[in-house]
Amino acid sequence: MISDDLDLITDTVEEQAPVEACTKCTACNTVCPVARSTEIFRGPKYLGPESERYRDQHEATVTAGLDLCSGCKLCEVTCPSQVSIQEYIRRAQNKGAREKGRTLRDWMLGHTRLLSAFGSMTAPLANFGNRNPVVRLAMEKLVGIHRKRPLPRYQWLTFERWFKRRRQQAATLTLPRKERTVAYFYGCWVNYNERRLGEMVVHILERNGVNVIVPKQQCCGIPAVVNSNIDLARTYGVENVRRLSTLPAGVDIIASSTSCGLMLKHDYSHLLDIPGAEPVGSRTYDICEYLWMLHEAGDLDLTFEPLDTRVLYHAPCHLKSHGMGYPATRLLRLIPGVHLEEVDEGCCGISGTFGVKVEKYDLSMKIGSRLFEAVKAAGSDSVLADCETCRMQVEHGAGARSSHPVEILARAYGYR
Amino acid sequence: MPDFTTGVVVIGGGSTGAGALRDLAMRGIDAMLIEKGDLASGTTGRSHGLLHSGGRYCVNDLAAAIECVEEGRILRRIARTAIEDTGGYFLSVTEEDEAWEPRFVEGCAKAGITCERISLDEARRREPALSKQVRTAFWLPEDGHLDPFYLVMGNVESARRRGAQVRTYTEVTGFTREGDRVTGVITRDAVTGEQTSIGCQAVINATGAWSGFVAKLLDVEVKVVPVKGVMVVLSHRLAHAAINRCHKPGDGDIVVPGLSVAILGTTARRVPHPEVLPIEWDEVRLMLEEGAMMLDGVTAARAMRAYAGVRPLYDLGAEAEGREMSRNFAVIDHEERDGVAGFTSIVGGKVTTYRLMAERVTHVVARKLGVTTPCSTADVPLNDRDDELDQLRHRPAQMGAPKPHLGEDYLKPLVCECELVRPEDADPWLEDPAVRGLEDMRRRTRAGMGPCQAAVCSYRLAGRLVTARHQDGAMATRAMADFLETRWRGVRHVFWGSQLRQAQVTTGLHLELFNLDRQLMLENRPPPVGEDHGVGLAEAAQATRPR
Repeated sequence: MISDDLDLITDTVEEQAPVEACTKCTACNTVCPVARSTEIFRGPKYLGPESERYRDQHEATVTAGLDLCSGCKLCEVTCPSQVSIQEYIRRAQNKGAREKGRTLRDWMLGHTRLLSAFGSMTAPLANFGNRNPVVRLAMEKLVGIHRKRPLPRYQWLTFERWFKRRRQQAATLTLPRKERTVAYFYGCWVNYNERRLGEMVVHILERNGVNVIVPKQQCCGIPAVVNSNIDLARTYGVENVRRLSTLPAGVDIIASSTSCGLMLKHDYSHLLDIPGAEPVGSRTYDICEYLWMLHEAGDLDLTFEPLDTRVLYHAPCHLKSHGMGYPATRLLRLIPGVHLEEVDEGCCGISGTFGVKVEKYDLSMKIGSRLFEAVKAAGSDSVLADCETCRMQVEHGAGARSSHPVEILARAYGYR
Repeated sequence: MPDFTTGVVVIGGGSTGAGALRDLAMRGIDAMLIEKGDLASGTTGRSHGLLHSGGRYCVNDLAAAIECVEEGRILRRIARTAIEDTGGYFLSVTEEDEAWEPRFVEGCAKAGITCERISLDEARRREPALSKQVRTAFWLPEDGHLDPFYLVMGNVESARRRGAQVRTYTEVTGFTREGDRVTGVITRDAVTGEQTSIGCQAVINATGAWSGFVAKLLDVEVKVVPVKGVMVVLSHRLAHAAINRCHKPGDGDIVVPGLSVAILGTTARRVPHPEVLPIEWDEVRLMLEEGAMMLDGVTAARAMRAYAGVRPLYDLGAEAEGREMSRNFAVIDHEERDGVAGFTSIVGGKVTTYRLMAERVTHVVARKLGVTTPCSTADVPLNDRDDELDQLRHRPAQMGAPKPHLGEDYLKPLVCECELVRPEDADPWLEDPAVRGLEDMRRRTRAGMGPCQAAVCSYRLAGRLVTARHQDGAMATRAMADFLETRWRGVRHVFWGSQLRQAQVTTGLHLELFNLDRQLMLENRPPPVGEDHGVGLAEAAQATRPR
């Protein structure tokens, strides 16, 4: 073949439809935590590019096995051909759900913000109910939430209101003028379940001379995406993009939840195809990523109080999708007296709302078993993980205390 | 003395031979099919799979067009499962094409072909991939896709159920005669070399482009002109319907959506021998260029392989060449013409008219045997008994959508993921003695016809040869190597973009991980039968490897 003749052909890796690029190398199947743990799952290669070749917008979607994809995205991270495996699976799930209808459970889990707002408003009652075996049995039978799965504790005081209150107090104080300003995308978890994490993020950022603002925001949409409801996720995403696009130039966006950050960075502009999402994504950073950037710029306050603690670090799957390495480990190694070990045992198994479901709970625990064993064997003070549901799973499966890496940082800054 | 006897021996396991075998069996005549390779491994299996409405021939070859119309309607009744009613478009792209239109419309009317001119907007709505260059569109609802493999297997299975026998990889090396009468054939097993003498009352020569070679064994001349056609397979269907250029039939003017792929075709070059089918880059390039004139995305799609087939054009003595020659067929009664009794040839024709060809030749032979049972192949469906054949093979339905997999439990891994072949689709064929190698499995299940071109299913099928067929590991490995080798010979013509990267994965997997090349090199065997010669998988790997 003469090279001049190749001008005719445009089948190149950059330009072609990604489904065409799959070379069946099976790398995705080898990293898939679900495929590794069960025989009944044909794996991402089959559900993604291979089935996609046969999917037709006019035909009913084959849904068998689609629900077993937990959405960890490791397949996409691994794919040497840049195939958007997850996007195909998500779209097929969404189409299947549109045709067949969604279960009440999946509808509820997709509407996390609504559910959490309700849980927060009725916090004492909700928390009691979530821990009551009779209520849990009823929930399992009626809704399909596994009774053994600990559900997150709701807080009556939301992060939103805490921040508003604090700003009113702070208005009376004279704060030093800050060079940098960030908008904090706190996400539903910080707002309704772990306000303290948000407080720590604000504290750490302000300590480093970064002004924090909190724009009004909606759920990032990831719970809807993984519960076969891309349409809903897109509604949320459009609202968030509209709000975040109005931020003044030079204001970066910070997320302390791995999956929220990933939605903003990547999925809004790809899977959900939201106009204007690209500029929002390009200025979104994970909290640890941002702090490490501060450090590289020489602006991170390194006057840490020495700690004497031994911690394990578990890298969440969605963090790997960010393509930024593990900034939390780099940050924590700056702190004197922190002995950090990485447990490289793959997915914890919960994958957001996946491991909550009655039919997936056992599978979820099986996927995480390698991690649990490693954590138990290490016998450490606590396990750090950037993702909130990973922390839930580690606490449940390994019986260890688990927290976000910024907690160690906050402690080193003397935050109590 | 013959080793055993049968009524009629049919030589050639293409669509005509399989059709004749079924026709004989349905008339109650004891029959046996002898094929030197596998069923559908010659012209039939290398066709582009267009079920002709007749539109292509209606101007230049009205008789062939009328046959297509009639046979197309019959096939829709009897071979439902092998046919996908895609419909087809005839598109005018240039001014010359537009000048052809009145003759085309007139031809369609003469041949009785349903043809409707539709607006460009409507055509684009139905087929968004139509190129900007398209000027006029005609809709021919009777164009379709005919799966040649399924068609042949369907005919053979139908005949077998009626007592007919099949021998594959068995070559006819001579005939036994008594005076002017043919009394049997002498065959040689292509693998074991075993000679067998089969006694019979009559022989049907349905070997298409090979007819001359078979006839020569009896010192009889049959003039068949082998005309090569090159096709390029793309990894998905660019259009819902078959796409034809509305012009004088020429090179690269058909795009057929067949199951999960699109096939661009074709060329017409005369070749010296039906097994010498080199594929040149200019032919591949032509397919892409011409295809791109009708459909967008042809050059951006993933080309999976190129292949060449050979048309068995019968020389009626006219001065015509290649496409100018009629696609009509002829039954040659050698008793009448050459004084050789018990030998009849069927030559020319095309896959769409295979049944009629089989009917005509069977009619001549049956009459000589004194059988007066009329032909019923046009009335009885191929899978006439409780859809046994459908149970043998689940296949992707329209758009290849894995419909049979709906509601199926998803526990079992697939054999071939590209073409969604399940173990239960493959296993029954492993019990069929006609299946010798993995290419034969491909023709029956579609395993290995997808984008990876057997990179994955080859070793899974090899594994099943051991577990289900109890072959030893070395034999199964050889079968795997042969399979990959024949796939490679098609893949190497489209080495760019995705398929080039695919080849890297395939060679990495099989040559590096499985160390298959060592085995291939040690054996130093000739390439598999029926493929053009060239650099093989192992040689290529050896040449590019640092020493």
